[in-house]
Amino acid sequence: MRRLGLLLRFPGAFLAPAILVLASIVLFPTGYLLYLSVRHWVITRPFQYFSGLDNYRLVLTSPSFWGAAQTTLVFIVATVAVTLVLGTALAVALNRPFAGRGVVRALVVLPLLVPPIVAGFTWRFLLNREIGMLGSWILPAVGVEASMLAHPDLAMVSIVIADVWSRTSFMFLILLAALQGIPGSLYEAARIDGASDAQEFVFITLPLLLPAMLVGVIFRAIEAVNTFDLIFVMTQGGPGTATQTLSIYGWRTAFTSFDIGRGAAIAVVMVVFAVLATTVLSRRVLER
Amino acid sequence: MRLLRPRALLLGGFIGVYLAFVLLPLAWLALGAFKTRFESLRSPPTLIFTPTFEAFGKVVAGGFGGVFGNSVTIALANVALALVLGVPAAYALARMRPKPRKNLAFWVLSIRLAPAFGLVIPLYAFMRTVGLLDSLGAVIIAHLTINLPLAIWLMMSYFDDLPIDVEEAAIIDGANRLGVLRYVVLPVSGPMLIAVAMLVFVFSWNEFLFAFILTSSRAQTVPALIASLAGTMNFDWPLMSALSISALVPAFVVVLFAQRAITEGLTAGAIK
Repeated sequence: MRRLGLLLRFPGAFLAPAILVLASIVLFPTGYLLYLSVRHWVITRPFQYFSGLDNYRLVLTSPSFWGAAQTTLVFIVATVAVTLVLGTALAVALNRPFAGRGVVRALVVLPLLVPPIVAGFTWRFLLNREIGMLGSWILPAVGVEASMLAHPDLAMVSIVIADVWSRTSFMFLILLAALQGIPGSLYEAARIDGASDAQEFVFITLPLLLPAMLVGVIFRAIEAVNTFDLIFVMTQGGPGTATQTLSIYGWRTAFTSFDIGRGAAIAVVMVVFAVLATTVLSRRVLER
Repeated sequence: MRLLRPRALLLGGFIGVYLAFVLLPLAWLALGAFKTRFESLRSPPTLIFTPTFEAFGKVVAGGFGGVFGNSVTIALANVALALVLGVPAAYALARMRPKPRKNLAFWVLSIRLAPAFGLVIPLYAFMRTVGLLDSLGAVIIAHLTINLPLAIWLMMSYFDDLPIDVEEAAIIDGANRLGVLRYVVLPVSGPMLIAVAMLVFVFSWNEFLFAFILTSSRAQTVPALIASLAGTMNFDWPLMSALSISALVPAFVVVLFAQRAITEGLTAGAIK
């Protein structure tokens, strides 16, 4: 327990530098973002002016925005669900003692150290129809003749696979830590009562893992909203707009059409969605 | 005792398949880095070929040294800033009264959770206005928005768990807060500081969005370089593979080194 004697004085001098820096590099840009979102500012044109809620109106009535929102949702649900299932399976499998477990764990975590831009490039190389190991050998052998990244649906499947490759380790680490916190006596008691492996998993592991799973899902969902590099290097949002998530759409608006005002409005809408979603989800974590 | 129980087989099989899924792409990348450009364009691709260092030669001779230098400078600057600013703040938060601490700590964490895209537009617009686009400083600041909250959060949880009695004794003996932090807290925090430094370094080294938007040539980082090469029509697969492999090395080395340091630090603590 913390004792009051040490708490009396507010150590402001220790906090001030970090708080000042954070305020200036985070709070100020946030305010500036709101300001930009009500300005008409296209970099290639010489004038900028206050335009009220025009940017928001344009964004929220644009079919491409809602298309991108839908694509983002599909991507989030797919990658979070697959990493959750795979991460759980890996955590359970690698929590049991066996020879070489340390090495296997280290290898499983390896992709976490690979820059997503490299992960994306690697998968683009692998999936290439002419010169890639998967695209040119394995996929045609199992009857997939299409070029993965040029086919609208398969391109989405491809970026999800690459993202799963890159990010499952993160879910695995969170769930493994949680698994190690479950007391072994619970399993011993269950075994004495004659529980099967499946029953142990459903009635002990799963309920006790649930809070960690929710935390993992929140972090992964935020990551998925932010995923830019991987998609950028694999498809740039294409073919057409098949893999154009909100991040890619926002980037396109702000940095290839140079419409900073509208890009800012998209960013504000994204932040609002993200805050709402995480608040709802973290409430559920806190209630437990 | 039966050796091949179905459960063990199933588990072993699953782990084996997953390891193949993790390792084969990296192996393919490494293989690609040792091909000539002509060899890399052969369809279907070949597994057996004469390996060459042509692509790595291009990485060394192609004038990419500056880009790697930029990445190292930005990452090290972030490590230094995150520790110098973060350690006192994390310590103060860990020793504060519960209520203001909770609010401040939550604020710090929520920055970490905000969509990065919401920051990149105002940072770009600001850096453009003040003429700092394509400078190392711009990227260092942008990375710090993610790294500083992360560092504070991790170190705060660590300081929370340190025994407080020694610190009290030091204060009774007349030490001031800074003295306590420097001579009592920091000497036992080595492994944690290394772990935080490592995470900050790897984040900065791997980060793409900020670096890509805020730089164009002079301050370009390795991920931004790889992306800009991927955008060209004339794809040099071996060169990009070699660059990617080179981009992996620092993070791997840092983690390998830090892992040893962490293990050593923890064991030393346990023996004392």
